Amino acid sequence: MVNGRNIYKPIMASLTDVIDESPLIKTFVLVPENGFSFKTGQFIELSVDGIGEAPFTPSSSPLITEKLEVTVMKTGYVTECMHKLKPGVFMGIRGPFGRGYPIESFYGKEVLILGGGCGLAPIRSLLYALEGIKDKLIKVTLCYGSKTPADCIYKPLFDRLNKTEKFEAFRTVDKADEGWDGSVGVVTTLLNRIKYDITKSIAVVCGPPIMMKFGTIRLLEMGYKDEQIYLSMEKNMSCGLGKCGHCMMGEFFVCKDGPVFTYNELKNTPDIWK
Amino acid sequence: MQYKSIKKEEWDNTLENLLLSYAIFAGIPNDASQDYEELRAVDIPKIIYNKPKPATSLKSFFLPVKENVTSENVVKERIIIGIPNCDIEALSILDEIYLDEDFPDINYRERRNNTILISTDCIGIQEHCHCLTYDIMPFSTNTADLAVIFLNGTMILRIITGKGEGFLSTVFPAAIALEDEDILSVIEKEHHATETLLSSANKGLPDYKKTGNLVSGANADMWKRHSARCVSCGACTTICPTCTCFLLIDKPGFEKVKQMDACQYPGFERVAGGGDGLFELPNRFRNRYMCKYVWKPGKFRSTACTGCGRCIEACIGKINKNEIFMELAK
Repeated sequence: MVNGRNIYKPIMASLTDVIDESPLIKTFVLVPENGFSFKTGQFIELSVDGIGEAPFTPSSSPLITEKLEVTVMKTGYVTECMHKLKPGVFMGIRGPFGRGYPIESFYGKEVLILGGGCGLAPIRSLLYALEGIKDKLIKVTLCYGSKTPADCIYKPLFDRLNKTEKFEAFRTVDKADEGWDGSVGVVTTLLNRIKYDITKSIAVVCGPPIMMKFGTIRLLEMGYKDEQIYLSMEKNMSCGLGKCGHCMMGEFFVCKDGPVFTYNELKNTPDIWK
Repeated sequence: MQYKSIKKEEWDNTLENLLLSYAIFAGIPNDASQDYEELRAVDIPKIIYNKPKPATSLKSFFLPVKENVTSENVVKERIIIGIPNCDIEALSILDEIYLDEDFPDINYRERRNNTILISTDCIGIQEHCHCLTYDIMPFSTNTADLAVIFLNGTMILRIITGKGEGFLSTVFPAAIALEDEDILSVIEKEHHATETLLSSANKGLPDYKKTGNLVSGANADMWKRHSARCVSCGACTTICPTCTCFLLIDKPGFEKVKQMDACQYPGFERVAGGGDGLFELPNRFRNRYMCKYVWKPGKFRSTACTGCGRCIEACIGKINKNEIFMELAK
């Protein structure tokens, strides 16, 4: 951050497209003034003029700087207002903030990604980044669970990944509907069907807290070591600057020290899944 | 450390002249005790020296309760006089948070740069003073620019920073170097007497590190029992010189208003999805202690509780943290 810059002032980004992903989830395509770069797993504070701002990890490729995609689930007041926005308006962006995925340390590894619900948004950005370094990876496996087939976002992503060398993707749903002939059950059930050399593997977990908790427990049971598991934590990251205190989790400001942590870093911190 | 002295009359006259170019604040008596007030010429003789402590802490001078942080805030050059060392030491952690390399807060920095801090040595203590238990002396040797002691009609000034030295030589050219061993020895005796009072008043109170161990080891029943009298008013965090949490509120034109917040308020950690790690009162109550004595010490160099005791005075539920720590230490 350049000295003298006002850390609270957002830059302006033009909203150029709004993509419906599921009944509750939309992707906002933004063109920030003067470009914008981030590392995969870092987050931004996205604001609606006069309404409020909220933290999101971009779902687009970190290799693209002229535009940015942010996938937003309608959850509270600010995201409800976001969902009403039409292309043509300006939104505010602060960031990027925090520590993303250390993808250089994934070189020579098998990457297992466990995702749930809207957690697929940051994972999509990670997948783009991993595609860019696939020559340096052994393989990448995505296991993703959503509540119902309709709640699954980025459906074309799965076919594309399964056609990409070194990548494979599996889906499951908690509750099937008539058209669904795939796996039913929580996301950890997908782990039974994959083969991994744990000594050469790292795992990434991103999703709702309950899924992160049981996903981590399952990975530990499988033999993953604490430092092999990367978690993308979700807290009330209000300022993004390590100052406002809302996202404090033990000794960590999730916004500045995270949001990506290894389980080893967090295992002694109480209430991490709340 | 270098000392200079100046006659009280001359000090007062100079302060009056300085009112033309500075906003000056000082501890002034009120009905209940004393508090920081902006000085008028008539207030100058009332300034309290040597005595702890203003009812509210120093932090609001640097972190206003509410401010628009997206507009430019111009701060007039200020002098603050009569700051006890508990408030001065509290600035260290504020500096670590607000002047960090990655994200320096320009409004905070402007206020820090535009303020001359003149501490006063505490001679005597107040009921809940316990700075020394946390290794904080009742007189400043760091962070403040100058420290003042009023002795026998003379203002004695300890020079702490280059900024303080420059200020002193510019605005108080009549101040003379103090090398009288007798006076310096009186100051030392007063310091020692205050330290003795603090030690005696806080006998058995665990030190900062031990408090952290006790707090992290305390069981859920303990937090439930002691939080039963907490009404989540946030007085403890509001009055605390080291609590700095805030909210950002959006205003039209992408402006942002920063407003002081408190982890003791319900909803402090709530996320849009409904999760709230501090929903239960005992958890919220525990959070403040864990933050001050366990988590912040693990993260920052500076102390997150300077032992001013204001949270004890402010609590309408009459919760005395020191009694809790004494109970834990048994």
